[in-house]
Amino acid sequence: MNYSNSNYITVFEQWEDQKKFFCFTEKDAENLQKLHTISAQSCDEVVESLYDHLLQFEDVRIFLSNPEMIKRLKESQKQYFLEMTAGDYGEAYYEKRINIGITHKRLGIPPRLYMGAYSYYVQLMLPKIYNHVDFDQKQAQELFLTFFKIINLDQELAISAYVHAVESVVMQQAEEIIAMSTPIMQIWDGIVVAPVIGTLDGQRTQQFMEQLLNQIVETKSTIALIDITGVPQIDTATAQHLIDTINAVRLLGSNVIITGIRPIIAQTLVHLGINLKEIITKPSMGAGLKVALDMLSIKTS
Amino acid sequence: MLVDKLTAQGATGLSITSESDIVACRKVIRDLTTQLGFGMTDVTRIVTSVSELARNVYVHAKVGEMRWNSMRSPGKIGIEIIFEDKGPGIADINQALEPGFSTAKSMGMGLPGVKKLMDELEIVSVDGKGTLVKVKKWAKVK
Repeated sequence: MNYSNSNYITVFEQWEDQKKFFCFTEKDAENLQKLHTISAQSCDEVVESLYDHLLQFEDVRIFLSNPEMIKRLKESQKQYFLEMTAGDYGEAYYEKRINIGITHKRLGIPPRLYMGAYSYYVQLMLPKIYNHVDFDQKQAQELFLTFFKIINLDQELAISAYVHAVESVVMQQAEEIIAMSTPIMQIWDGIVVAPVIGTLDGQRTQQFMEQLLNQIVETKSTIALIDITGVPQIDTATAQHLIDTINAVRLLGSNVIITGIRPIIAQTLVHLGINLKEIITKPSMGAGLKVALDMLSIKTS
Repeated sequence: MLVDKLTAQGATGLSITSESDIVACRKVIRDLTTQLGFGMTDVTRIVTSVSELARNVYVHAKVGEMRWNSMRSPGKIGIEIIFEDKGPGIADINQALEPGFSTAKSMGMGLPGVKKLMDELEIVSVDGKGTLVKVKKWAKVK
């Protein structure tokens, strides 16, 4: 799996650093081996108790309605706990932990329940750790600290995966919005209209320009009306993007008419010293269309 | 509104680290100036300036922040917006304010434009250390 496009998820290459950041040392990996004995002994009991606890809650029961499913989940939960203390803490371990977060998100299980279950698990394990070392404070403390670190590492991966899952949706929606908000259509033989809604930033201009140029070639249009009624403000970067687009259209031998320049936009453009001298501009799309039809010598009455 | 959320959190600043942060900067200032009572024309002037200055931060320094203070006294409202970055700095401020001068292959109309759009523009820049740009706009209200 590749998470390099995520701002939140730790990529495996960084995970070694992440372990250092969490002060997870070789010594901790050794301690976990000791903890594994406790885990293996008490695994069944802990998981049963955990599910008894979880199933008291209405909002958990929504996710765990089917007895078959509960049985299966208990099994994988046991696996999960056992792996936590017997892991190689390498790539496979890392992948699996991230997948847990992604799966939880997919099933719609909120982090609140995930963290809550963890808290209950810690509560059950603490007395068992003390028991195991015959209540030796120093040893218990050391083991518990290790236990705490691996849990934190685990939770960090799962929570980052949650965030990443949400982030992916947002990124996908952003792309869809960009594609949706630049419809380009032929409204007359030889004339295409491109209403721009929202801001024209770098990535969007690129897509807009591509779409417009393709549409012009496809429809063999000689005039493109770019309507900017829906653009809230134009700064120099937006103006530059517009001018670039117009120049590209001209290279195809077509003309551009900019329509929908509102009085406020006109004022700011003047203040910014932006010159649209060689470009035909009209206040409304209707006025722009009239000019286009005249240019094509199409009579309107 | 974003600005209400930020105000509730006690924030008076936004960090600029990506192109979408420029959009956020515009949105906050648009909401804030509208709430303060600036007219549509002034709001557009201020927001356009924010767009220019936030983009300058992003393009030249990659990382920086925008902070704001609003002022309201009887008959008068005002906004002060500060952009700060630890980027390469501006070698010659007078040159940067000349229309058409650009080190980023862009129009070079941004800073001189902001000067016209806003009431006050103050630039402090240390070569290689960073830049602070402060702009202000005032309006009379009833």
